[in-house]
Amino acid sequence: MTAPASTSGTVEADPLAAANSIVDLGLKATEAYNRTDLTARLTAAKRSLANPGIHVVVAGEFKQGKSSLVNGLLGATVCPVDDDVATAVPTYVRYGPELQAAVLFEGDPPRRQPIPMDDVRRYVVEQSGGTPTTLGQPGGQPGGQPGGGAGQGAVAGVEINLPRKMLSSGLVVVDTPGVGGLGSAHAAASLAAISIADAVLFVTDASQELTQTEVDFLRRARDLCDTVLCVLTKIDFYPYWRRIRELDEGHLRGENGVPVLAVSSTLRSRAVRGNDTTLNTESGFPELVSFVNEQVTRRGATKLAAEAAGEVFAICRQLEMQFSAERAALADPEAAKRVIDELTAAKARVDSLRSAAAKWMQTLSDGVADLTSDIDHDLRARIRHVIQEADDALETSDPADNWPEMEAWLESRTSYELLANYTLLRRRADDLSGQVADHFREVSGDVLEQFAVYNPTPLLTQAEMDHNVKLEKMSVGKQTMFALRNTYSGMIMFTMLSSMAHIALGPLGIGIGLVMGRKGLRDEKERQLQQRRGQAKNAIRRYCDEVSFVTGKDSRDTLRRIQRQLRDHYSARADELNKSNAAALQSANDVAKRSQADREKRLKDLDAELTRLRMLRDRAAAVAP
Amino acid sequence: MSERRSSALLDRTRGVLTRAIDTYRGTRSGARLLSVRARLDEPLRVAIAGRVKSGKSTLLNALVGERLATTDAGECTRIVTWYLNGQSYQVVLKPRNGGAMQARFTRDEQAIEVDLAGMSPDDIEEMLVTWPSSALRTATLIDTPGIGSLTERAARRAWELLAADDEETPADAVLYLMKHLHANDLDFLRAFHDTEVSRPNPVNAIGVLSRADEIGVGRLDSMASARRIAGRLATEPKVRRVVQTVVPVAGLLAETALTLTEAEVRQLRLIADHPPKAIEELLLSTDRFIEKMPELGVTSIEREGLLGRFGLFGVRLGSTLLRREVAATATELAKELADRSGLNDLHEVLQSLFFERRDVLKSRSALLALDSLLRSEPVPGSAAVVAELEEIIASAHPFNELRVLASVRAGWVSGKPGVVADLERLIGGAGNSAHLRLQLPPDAGTAEIRAAAAQALMRWQRRAENPMTGHELAVAARVAIRSCEGMLADLAAAR
Repeated sequence: MTAPASTSGTVEADPLAAANSIVDLGLKATEAYNRTDLTARLTAAKRSLANPGIHVVVAGEFKQGKSSLVNGLLGATVCPVDDDVATAVPTYVRYGPELQAAVLFEGDPPRRQPIPMDDVRRYVVEQSGGTPTTLGQPGGQPGGQPGGGAGQGAVAGVEINLPRKMLSSGLVVVDTPGVGGLGSAHAAASLAAISIADAVLFVTDASQELTQTEVDFLRRARDLCDTVLCVLTKIDFYPYWRRIRELDEGHLRGENGVPVLAVSSTLRSRAVRGNDTTLNTESGFPELVSFVNEQVTRRGATKLAAEAAGEVFAICRQLEMQFSAERAALADPEAAKRVIDELTAAKARVDSLRSAAAKWMQTLSDGVADLTSDIDHDLRARIRHVIQEADDALETSDPADNWPEMEAWLESRTSYELLANYTLLRRRADDLSGQVADHFREVSGDVLEQFAVYNPTPLLTQAEMDHNVKLEKMSVGKQTMFALRNTYSGMIMFTMLSSMAHIALGPLGIGIGLVMGRKGLRDEKERQLQQRRGQAKNAIRRYCDEVSFVTGKDSRDTLRRIQRQLRDHYSARADELNKSNAAALQSANDVAKRSQADREKRLKDLDAELTRLRMLRDRAAAVAP
Repeated sequence: MSERRSSALLDRTRGVLTRAIDTYRGTRSGARLLSVRARLDEPLRVAIAGRVKSGKSTLLNALVGERLATTDAGECTRIVTWYLNGQSYQVVLKPRNGGAMQARFTRDEQAIEVDLAGMSPDDIEEMLVTWPSSALRTATLIDTPGIGSLTERAARRAWELLAADDEETPADAVLYLMKHLHANDLDFLRAFHDTEVSRPNPVNAIGVLSRADEIGVGRLDSMASARRIAGRLATEPKVRRVVQTVVPVAGLLAETALTLTEAEVRQLRLIADHPPKAIEELLLSTDRFIEKMPELGVTSIEREGLLGRFGLFGVRLGSTLLRREVAATATELAKELADRSGLNDLHEVLQSLFFERRDVLKSRSALLALDSLLRSEPVPGSAAVVAELEEIIASAHPFNELRVLASVRAGWVSGKPGVVADLERLIGGAGNSAHLRLQLPPDAGTAEIRAAAAQALMRWQRRAENPMTGHELAVAARVAIRSCEGMLADLAAAR
């Protein structure tokens, strides 16, 4: 495969374009051979290439300059910046031919409503002035209702389209809310977003070295995402930023491969306004921009291109199998009978793949059932643990003192437990998907490989065969991964945490009796304290009950969706195989009816087709290394 | 105003302590009680607490008016350090194991440099710095390591100091520094809540929005922005429950203003003499300031020095003030900078909320200490002391005021907002002096104060008797009535 692979020089330039042209070639082939099923598969791949969605999440502590960083990165003022109030809902900045904004309201799928750019601030920043809340009323909730959303459901986010070259290859910059700090439920939401993102920019300012909370958050982010960059901001203002950078690098030495980059958004915006290149260099942004372009956009694009190329590769294999079988029958009429027998036997195997008793199908349904029960159990155990901790804390404190803190603690604690539960679900679902893929391939792989052997002029050496099997395996895995990623994101971004936001701990009913009498002050206080503790414990139980009820349903639904997606995916693959096999059988049967001249012509045609397919497959293999 | 009644409280406190000392004579606790009683006459102990790098040491220096505590870009205060007034200059180390010992120290322009005699900071419980200073005569200041510190040990130490297990808090009052509100901060403040003398306690804590110049990242209007934010924070229920009010302070600027040198003013003036446009470009970033415009006449080492002392905001502000001739001399500039740093506002707030309430805060700490001792180590005869203690706590009017204040702040006393605000002021929520309680100008005459107090008395008597008044508010109203009566009595006594 050396010769065709040499075209990979041009492939490197723009992986998405390369993948796109391969998919187009594949589409031509499937249309020519009248395989509508394969055409549909490639059309889906083409769609995902056209809409790549490479997410980079900007996260960090309250007031570290996240929104300014996004503005600086894009060289435009899209995210509202304020000295006081913080960003309250995530902002998604993606490519669009003209500047446009829309609000996303909670729902599945979220409802989108265009708004004028001037209104963005109203939706994005938290309500200033601090809404007057009394004891125990929840303060700012995640995805709450900042400005103007009355009667339309809660705002889940704001989407901004911006005509910027940087975004044109599918980059989406997500500015996350800074409300409540990294220890809050919001931060858990950010982490959930990170788990499906392609990269994370962690923002910390040069006023001080990283704190324990920040390092903890970075560590979690690092576990969930491969590409993490720590951005040190406001270096124009703090004279000792180099010292701080050194200290930060020291703290991050344990977290392998989190580089620190220093920038100044103030200098950047001034440089952009005045078109000042010197100042731009001083701002540190060119380095950040190239990091995002190289490490995030390009990598993301390469991954997507590989996924698409994997599809083309798989389709080539299907078609090759069909033609190889026909060719074998044509080239040697003696063998035709045997080919037909083999194909008939293969048909039986393919049929078994499509039946409800197929091993992969069993694995899938058993696996999902096990998973549902395990995840549920895990969730219950976690919630139980939280309740225990809360009870212990209540034993040594007075809810009258610390109810709001207790509430914040409980929210954040449950969010992190839910996140852990969700991470487990994801990991186990990935494992299951791998198992199903293995069991599917055990049968389907045979069918595909068999016909390569019948080819009198073997096109593949054994080594190449192995390589291709690996690729096949990879492309199958990638495919389902991709399907699953969309399933997860639906759940995590819009369902899990926003539905949690609707659960409130609620106010603690009793006021505190003002006792001014001389006698029995202490006894009365003790009695009231016990009563408050009882109430607090009940409230916490109700809250946790509600949380497990809602998230339990969510994860069951998610697992069901996963099951359906995997089933549909592999059923479609089985159908494709069946169709290829049937076509091969048909042509093999037809061989006998052909005249000698006809046969030779067809043989020539087939060789040409096979060569074309092989070249296409090799090109695909080059894109999906 | 309530000099007389508070002193009465102090006397009663001293009385019950003396009786307890008699009861516990000969035991180990006897000595401890003696020190508790002695503490009543010491200056108020004010701890400066807050997250790591919130500017605690800088603020301490600004409050003392001298550079005593070490400040640094990295995390630097790792030992709880007490700064007390005294006749001579002296530093004493208290190791975790072993007795206290004098330490050698040097002092340069930077701060006091203490020789730890080979011990690691982790081995030292606390450090006492005795320094003759008029500022330290009113208050003993305690510098604490930051919470959220990456050095686990140092952070735990701040917790130990502020949330001592035995409920006796070494500090009488706390200045809590916040860089900008943060959930963890509330977590930390919970440590001040005690259970007996008053509930969640906005009584002995003031919030300081420190490093206020950084809020607007050094823009000239940064302080205005900081004041707006502090104002909002002070009305936020979660914050109101734990601190009395929030004051913005640009600590570095305040510290420098109080220790401004002629040389520094000369350097600032050289900057101010250049065209504003060029200076704006120069002051775009700290790197530029150090490297660009060699013709300025200020060496890069001097410039670095200026940045360390003023920060970019201070250099911008200082040179602008000189250019616009708002200040002409070093003295004028120092005054102007101190004023703009918010330090004077902080002094005022400290005066009305802490120092004027010194006796109440002192009694409170002492009674807390006594209460925990009585409960943990009962001896024959201690029951009588318990009864006396309980009576003081339950009946002393200043404590009742604190209790109502705390309840109002926690939102338990409900009523029309105007009425609740009136109540809060009347019982001393804005400060202890009569004009603050009655919302009169500071120069209000005796007659004016008396008229206002009498009016407030009638108003609250009506409310207390009104059957429509809720139970909590009625109880609170009776306390307010006593506050009014107290003010009137004080005025009568003064005559």
